[in-house]
Amino acid sequence: MPGYYLDLALRSLKRTPILAGLMMLAIALGIGASITMLTVLHNLSGNPLPGRSDVLFHPQVDPRPADLPGASDEPPDDLTYIDAVNLYKLGAVPRRAVMSSNWLPTRRDAPGTALAMETDRATTADFFAMFGVPFVYGSAWSAQDDASHAQVVVLSQVLNQKLFGGADSVGKTVVIATKIFRVVGVIGDWNPQPRFYDVDGGAFNDADQMYLPFFTWLDLPQDYGYGPMNCWGNDPNAGEHDPKAPQCTWAQFWVELDTPAQVESYRQALVHYSGQQRQMGRFQRAPNVRLRGLLDWLDAKHVIPVTVRMQTWIAFGVFLICMVNTVGLMVAKFLRKSGEIGVRRALGAARRDVFAQCLIEAGVIGVAGGLFGLPLAWLGLWMVRQQPVSFAASAHLDLAMLGAALALAVVAALGAGAWPAWRASRVAPALQVKSL
Amino acid sequence: MQIRPILAALRSHKTAVTLLVLEIALTMAILGNLVFIVYGTLQRSRTPTGVAEGQIGLIQSIGVIGEDNPGTVGDNIALLQRVPGVVAATFGGPPLWYDSASNAFLDPDRQHRVARMYEFTGGQGLSRTLGLHLVEGHDLQPEDLPDASQWGSVKEVPALITRALAAKLFPGGRALGQRFYDGTSAVRVQGVVDHLRAEITGRPDDDYSVVIEYRVGAQDMGGGFMIRSEPGRLEPTLLAAAAALQKANPGHVQNKVYTMAELRERYFRSDLATGRMLVAILLILLVVTALGVSGLASFWVQQRRRQIGMRRALGATRGDILRYFQAENFLIVTAGVVLGAVFAFALNLFLMHRFELARLPTGYLAVGALVLWALGQLAVLGPALRAAAVPPVVATRSV
Repeated sequence: MPGYYLDLALRSLKRTPILAGLMMLAIALGIGASITMLTVLHNLSGNPLPGRSDVLFHPQVDPRPADLPGASDEPPDDLTYIDAVNLYKLGAVPRRAVMSSNWLPTRRDAPGTALAMETDRATTADFFAMFGVPFVYGSAWSAQDDASHAQVVVLSQVLNQKLFGGADSVGKTVVIATKIFRVVGVIGDWNPQPRFYDVDGGAFNDADQMYLPFFTWLDLPQDYGYGPMNCWGNDPNAGEHDPKAPQCTWAQFWVELDTPAQVESYRQALVHYSGQQRQMGRFQRAPNVRLRGLLDWLDAKHVIPVTVRMQTWIAFGVFLICMVNTVGLMVAKFLRKSGEIGVRRALGAARRDVFAQCLIEAGVIGVAGGLFGLPLAWLGLWMVRQQPVSFAASAHLDLAMLGAALALAVVAALGAGAWPAWRASRVAPALQVKSL
Repeated sequence: MQIRPILAALRSHKTAVTLLVLEIALTMAILGNLVFIVYGTLQRSRTPTGVAEGQIGLIQSIGVIGEDNPGTVGDNIALLQRVPGVVAATFGGPPLWYDSASNAFLDPDRQHRVARMYEFTGGQGLSRTLGLHLVEGHDLQPEDLPDASQWGSVKEVPALITRALAAKLFPGGRALGQRFYDGTSAVRVQGVVDHLRAEITGRPDDDYSVVIEYRVGAQDMGGGFMIRSEPGRLEPTLLAAAAALQKANPGHVQNKVYTMAELRERYFRSDLATGRMLVAILLILLVVTALGVSGLASFWVQQRRRQIGMRRALGATRGDILRYFQAENFLIVTAGVVLGAVFAFALNLFLMHRFELARLPTGYLAVGALVLWALGQLAVLGPALRAAAVPPVVATRSV
């Protein structure tokens, strides 16, 4: 019977091509708009490091003064210099990395080469293994390099292209802030989105151009900023040239903890550390620590741009309107068949059968609308990618979203068709047959 | 034109009419709020900063510690002033570019913050280079300026403040000669300028700004250098100035050379991009609504062919039939608009709560209503014309 209903549905749609076309177009536009925005949202809220996100944690401690007007309960996102150094040494963890960023005047180590400001991330050796950063040439520096303040650098592929034409530059030297650094590695294309490890520095920013050992970097001239620095007190620029200013936070810190037991003992270590600092008089507040996993951290930071969330809501508003519109058109469409339905009922079809027939017709419209909607969503995403906003580049349609689009179209059409179909199945056969 | 028969006819299509009214109401709710958001962005992108935007250019020249550099800030300013076409030049940054905000206090103990303000700090001639409009007091005098060697440790600095900041700090009273405090020093109000917006977010404190000049000379400092050119000659002048500055400072990295127009474009880039996407959504919305209206209208026309034929046979003109459908549409859209106004405010409340949107002014609803009336009439025109073309002879035929 469904095959026959399908045939009937196609015939019926062919008979009223305009009405059918309008319904499909309405569904297609609704699907196109909402899938476009859903894809943007889906990509922006995705897991930046699938497979590793479960073992990465973001510790926070609270060094703020006890009376800080307007302060929230949430400890600062980043660490002060002292806490960064202390937490870096705190306890035995599988891996940990302290980091910050700025930009530094950089050039090839050859006479007459032009200086340019390049963005860098200063971090410690575990960064690369902990975050699964792929290497094209060479490898990360060692913990020994961190300890000895070695002048070594890992380049991004883009900077390696710019400085060395993309050749294997391991062992070559570059001049960074007038100091000579030896290239130990070149990483491949790596820029997890959102850029979870430094959300305050821009969750959807470009990747950093080079990576330097944290403690070596601190030895460089203090004139190029310290990441997203935040100072409490009356002088917001207190730490501009003094990263060790006790009231300024600017270092991000991440640890890898492989088991729940490790997580628990690390949390206790943080509380213990805070208590100790309080006894020493450095901390004024009772231990106030956080140890969020990567995904919880992204949740807490609300990294999805507010405009994207708003546009998603609006896109669903549009979708809702498309649905109301489709319901209206379907009511018209099915009622028009009252005569036909009356005859079918008079010839013995049950209400159920009429309902099924109408619903299949709605489903056909849904599939067609969904199929039309896909190129529209593709077009919409292309338009999003043309926009000069930082997150635009990630707007691509993947297989999951394609499936979701089609499913959404069919479900929407069936939902929109259910009530009109039910109404159609209530048509009184006698009345209709009489009027024929 | 009689309304009653139209209402009677609509009563027998309760479902379809309800759906249509609902659709128009939803469209109205979203339309009103979207237009409000988009227009707000547009308005913001045209808010002036208060400086001579068409004439100002920025050269970001970053000093590299450890590189030999013969130039000093004083020399550099003098050099920029000698570039043909330059009216004024100084060390410091323009609005819409890494502006630093700081707290303003009236008590020296800095216990009670009165405002959050933007500090424009730079070399001598900063206010002249920005091209600010003084409305009270007098400009900063060279002999009053603190020396740049005391940067950050001066007890008291003379300054210009904006009228908005003056009104905030000294409500009702004269601001001239008064003192207030920022994070590090006391600030004495020397003059009041009309506007200086460091950022354009739409909030009133955008216009809370203070201008502080230091006498710079022998220091080798990198950072922003700013020029004001003769009107209409900014681009060539800025390029020449940037080239001269780089030549005199081989130890600096020249990173960015921007005109104020480029800074503005970059500042509003993502807001305007969002605006464009919202306009796209808006257009889709209007198209869908028009499709729905004309779809149902053509269904009704087809359903009522016999009745239309009868009316024609009984003497109704084509115009009567046309107007019948137009009036019917007008009634439905009006009902939708009224319901939509309620929805629009509800949606606005939600957006205010979640996205800090401002309250929707009623004017936008009037615009939304006009748009929807026009859209409805446009959508119904085709089906109504088809209805008007139904010949009276149809009445005599059986279906």
